[in-house]
Amino acid sequence: MSSDAVKKRKPKVVRNEAGTPETKRSRAEGDQVTYPAGPHLIGQRKLITAKNQEVRVYNEEVELEDRDPQQDYMLYKDTCADLAKLMAEIQELKSSGAKVGSVEIEERHRQCSVHFITLKKLNRLAHMRLKKGRDQTHEAKQRVDVLHLQLQNLLYEVMHLQKEISKCLEFKSQHEEIELVSEEEFFQEAPAEISRPHVTRDDNHQLTLARLDWELEQRKRLAEQYKMSLARKEKIQKAIEQKREYLSSLQPGLQNIMQASLPVQEYLSMPFEQMQKQAEVARHLPPPLYVLLVQAAAYGQACDKTLSVNISGDVDEAKALSRRPEDSQEDESDSDAEEEQQNTKRRRATVGVQLEDKRKAMLRRHPLSLCVDLKCKDGSVLHLFFYYLMNLNILTVKTKVSTATDLSGAVSAGELLNSESLLNCLYASDHGKETPNPANRYQFDKVGITTFADYVSDLGHPYVWVQKLGGLQFSSDGAQSELRGSALSASHMEKTMKLLRGRLQARLALHKQFSSLEHSIIPVSSECQHLFPAKVVSGLTRWTMMSYQEFTELGFVQHVLKAGLVCETDLFFMAVVERGTARLLAAVVLNPRYPEVMPLFSLSLHWKGERSGRTEDNLRAMESEVNVFRAELQGPRPGLQLLTNQIQRLCVCLDVYLETESQVCDGSEGPREFPREKMCLRTARGPSRLKPFKYNHPQGFFSHR
Amino acid sequence: MSVFSQSFSPCGRFLAAGNNYGEIALFSLSAALSPDASEGSQKPILNFTAHDGPVFSLLSTDTHLLSAGNGEISAWSWAELIKKVSQLFSKCMCIFLGLGKMYISFHCCDNSLIVGGGDNNIHIMDMETGIFKSVLKGHTDYIHCLCFKEREEEILSGGEDGAVRIWDSRTNRPVHCIEVFKYEECARPQFGKWISCLATDSDWMLCGGGPSLSLWHLRSMSPTSVFPLPGCQREAVFHQDLIMSVGEGPYVSHCLHGGTVKAQIPCTPSSLNTLALNLKNTEHRVMTVGGSSHQIDVFTNFSYRAFSLSF
Repeated sequence: MSSDAVKKRKPKVVRNEAGTPETKRSRAEGDQVTYPAGPHLIGQRKLITAKNQEVRVYNEEVELEDRDPQQDYMLYKDTCADLAKLMAEIQELKSSGAKVGSVEIEERHRQCSVHFITLKKLNRLAHMRLKKGRDQTHEAKQRVDVLHLQLQNLLYEVMHLQKEISKCLEFKSQHEEIELVSEEEFFQEAPAEISRPHVTRDDNHQLTLARLDWELEQRKRLAEQYKMSLARKEKIQKAIEQKREYLSSLQPGLQNIMQASLPVQEYLSMPFEQMQKQAEVARHLPPPLYVLLVQAAAYGQACDKTLSVNISGDVDEAKALSRRPEDSQEDESDSDAEEEQQNTKRRRATVGVQLEDKRKAMLRRHPLSLCVDLKCKDGSVLHLFFYYLMNLNILTVKTKVSTATDLSGAVSAGELLNSESLLNCLYASDHGKETPNPANRYQFDKVGITTFADYVSDLGHPYVWVQKLGGLQFSSDGAQSELRGSALSASHMEKTMKLLRGRLQARLALHKQFSSLEHSIIPVSSECQHLFPAKVVSGLTRWTMMSYQEFTELGFVQHVLKAGLVCETDLFFMAVVERGTARLLAAVVLNPRYPEVMPLFSLSLHWKGERSGRTEDNLRAMESEVNVFRAELQGPRPGLQLLTNQIQRLCVCLDVYLETESQVCDGSEGPREFPREKMCLRTARGPSRLKPFKYNHPQGFFSHR
Repeated sequence: MSVFSQSFSPCGRFLAAGNNYGEIALFSLSAALSPDASEGSQKPILNFTAHDGPVFSLLSTDTHLLSAGNGEISAWSWAELIKKVSQLFSKCMCIFLGLGKMYISFHCCDNSLIVGGGDNNIHIMDMETGIFKSVLKGHTDYIHCLCFKEREEEILSGGEDGAVRIWDSRTNRPVHCIEVFKYEECARPQFGKWISCLATDSDWMLCGGGPSLSLWHLRSMSPTSVFPLPGCQREAVFHQDLIMSVGEGPYVSHCLHGGTVKAQIPCTPSSLNTLALNLKNTEHRVMTVGGSSHQIDVFTNFSYRAFSLSF
C-alpha cells in the first residue's frame, strides 16, 4: 500500500525515477554519491543497503523525523512574515523610485527567493509529513483490517462449528426408528455375548448397540423362517393345483355317468337329477313363482299324480338379474337420462318412442317362467304358463290345450278352447282383464298406460287366483284372509286345480257335444235317457254361435238383459228346433263357469204367428222347465250333460206344446198338424192353461208340476 | 212367477197373494197406500211357502185365510199372519179330490166350504168340523170356478167341460146346466169350450173362458150381451154398474152391461189371472190384479194403474 501511494505520486516525481537508476548505479559503483545541489534532486528515497554503510545520503525523510512540526510551523510563519516584509520593502523601494535592477532590490529578491525556497521546503516537509502520517494511518488501518478479517474468519468458523454441532446433536440416527424390544425383554432374551450386561447396564450407547445387534440377529432369523415358509407355501400351492386339475378331469366322467343313469332313473321313476336341476334353477325364480312351484309340486306329489311342474326360460338372464339389480337399475336410469338428453335435442317424434320404451320396461317379464301341466284321463293336457311381471309384482298365466285326438269340425266351438278365454271366470267375476294390484294404477299413470287389457294377450291374464297361488295377496281382494305367501297358496291350490281340471273337461265335453249338435244330433248319454220319452219328434236343425252384439239385438231376450244375468264374457248360441211348420228359436247364454252355472235359454216360437215367453204363459213354462231344474238335468257327475239334456228337454216340451195345442179346440178345420202322441193326464190346467211339460219316468206320461 | 190368487184380509188392510210356486205373500195395503210409501212398502211383509204346487185359490173368512194347492186346503189365521207368523192353523188333505196336483177352487157360505176340484165334483165341507158333507156330481171335467147366489142359495159352477151348472145348496141337486159353447154368439171354438170365470149378481151371470165373456140373464137362461174381448177371460166381477174382467192381454177391461167395452186399462203383467176388489175397507178401496208377472198392479182409481206391489 505504501508502494501504491508512492506510485501515485510518481508523475510528480518523474525526475526521481530518472534519478533512481542513477542512485542504483551509484550504489552499484559503491561510490559515494554526491547530490548535486539543485532543486531537481528533491525527495529522493533513501536506499540503504547493507553493503553501503558508508554511503551518506541526504534524505529529507530522515530529516523529517528530526524536525518538529511546531517548529516548522513557526518557521513558516516567520518566513511568511519575512517575505511579507521583504515584499513590503521592495515595494517601498520600488515606489521610492529605485531601479529595477538595484542591489537592494536584488538583495531582497535573493532573500525572497531564499524564503521562497524555504517555503517550498517547508511545503515539501509538510507534504512529506502528511504522507508519512497517511502512511502510518494506512498501516495501522491495514493492521486493524487484518485483525478484523481474522476475527471474522474466526467468527465464521465458530458459527460453522456451532451449526455442525447442532446438526450433530439433531441427527436422528436410523436406529431410533427401529422398534426395539424393551430393555427388560432384551436382557431376558438376548444371549450374553450380545447383551453384555456388565457393559451395557452402565453405558447407554453400548446398550443401544447391543439392542441393535440383538434386533439384527432376530430379524435375520425371522427372515430365514419367512423364506422357508414361502417355499413351503409354494409347494402346497402346487399340490393343490394338481389336485384341482385332477378333479376337473373327473367332471366329464361324472357327467357321462349321470347321463347314462338317466334312463335308469326314468325306469325306476326316481328322477333325482331332474329334481336337482329343477331345484338349482328354482333358486333363481322370483318369490311368487317359487312359492307356486313349491306348492304345485307338493300338491302334485301328494294328491294329484297327473300334475307336473317345469321351469322354463333363460337361467342366465335370471342370474344376471338377481346379481346386479341395483346396477342394472342405475344403468337404466342413467341410460334413460342420457336418452332424454339426446332426445330433447331432437324433434318431438321420439318422445313417443321413449314412452314406449318406458312402457316396455315397466311391463318386463322375468326371464324364467313356470309350466304346469294338468293331464286328464282321456289324454288331453292343459298347459299353464305362469309369468312374473317384475315391476308390477303380479303373476300372469297363459294357457294351451293339447288333446289326444284332433278336435275339429265344430265351428261353433271355436271359442271354447280359445286360450284367451279358456280360464275366464274360473272363480266368479274373475275376468283377468285388469291387474289386481292397486299399486299398478300409479305406475301405469306414469307411463301412460290406460288399461292393462291391451297387453293381456301378450303378457297373459292376471287372474286373481293366479296371484293367490303365488302367495300374492292384494288389499283390494274381497275376503281379507290372514294367510300370506305359502299358506295362501296352499289353501287355494287344491280348489283351483280341481276347478282348472273341471274347466278343461267341461270345455272338451262341450266341444264334442257341439260338433254333434252341429250335425243336428243331440247327444244324450245313456244315463240320462230316463229323463226323456223314447220318441222325440222335434229335432234340432241348427246350432250356431252368436256374438254379444247379436244377442242384445234379439227381441225376446231383453228380459234377460234387463235382469243383468248376462255379461260380455259369456258365450252365446242360437239353437233352432223345428217340427213341421213350427220353428222354435232358443237363444242360449253359456256362462264360462259352465257347468256350475246353468245355461240360460230364452224362447221364441214361430208358428201361426210369433210368440215368446213374454207373451205366452206356456212358453214361459217351457223356459222354466228347461232353465230351472238343474238337479234333474245335469245328469251324472260332473254334470257335463247339462246342455245337451236341456236341449233335449226343449225338444220334448215343444212336442208336448204342439201336440196339446191342437187338442184344445174341437172341431177345427182339417186334420191336425201334430197328432197327439204323448200321454197326458190333463192338457190344460189352471186359468193360464198350462200344458203338462213334466215327463214321468218310467210310466211315460206327462203331467203338470 | 205367476200370481194365481188374491184375497184381502177381513179388516181390509192386508192383501194375500198366492203364486205358482206355492208361496203366499202378505202385503200391507195401509203401508203401500200411505203418503210416505217407499219401495220397501211395496214388498211383502210376509212371504211363506204354503204348498208344493201352485196356490190357485185363496179365500178369506172372517178370521182365517184359506189356501188351496196341490190336493190340500190349508187354513191360516189372519191374526197370526198379520203378526207375521206363518203358522199353519189347520190343514185338510183333500186327497180324494183327485190325483196329485190339481186345481181347487172354493167358495164359502155360512160355515160351509164349497170345494171344486180335479175329480170333476163339488164337495161341500163343514168348516168347523172339517167333514165333507155332500158331493155334487155332474161335471165331466174338472171344475174351474165356483160362485154362490146368496138370495136363492144356489151354487154355480163352471168347468173344463164347458158347462155351467147351477145347484141348489140346500137340496144339493142340480137345477140347471148351461152349455155355453153351444150358443153361437158366445162360442169361440178356436179357443175351446172351457169356462174359467163365473160371477153372479142376483139375476145376472157372467161367464167366460174359451167362449167369449157373456152376460146372462138367469131367469131366461139366455145370453143378453156378449163382450167382444179378444182373449180368454179368467176372472170377471160385477162392480156397481160396470163389469170388470181380466184375462189374456195386459189390460183390465171395463165393460157395460149393454155389451160394450168401455175401457181397457193397461197393466204390467202380460196376462192377468186374478182380479180382486177391496170393498170391505173404505179407506183402502183398491182393485188389485195379478197375472203372469211378479208384480201385482194396484188401482186406487179404477181408471188407471197407481203402482205395483212386487211379490
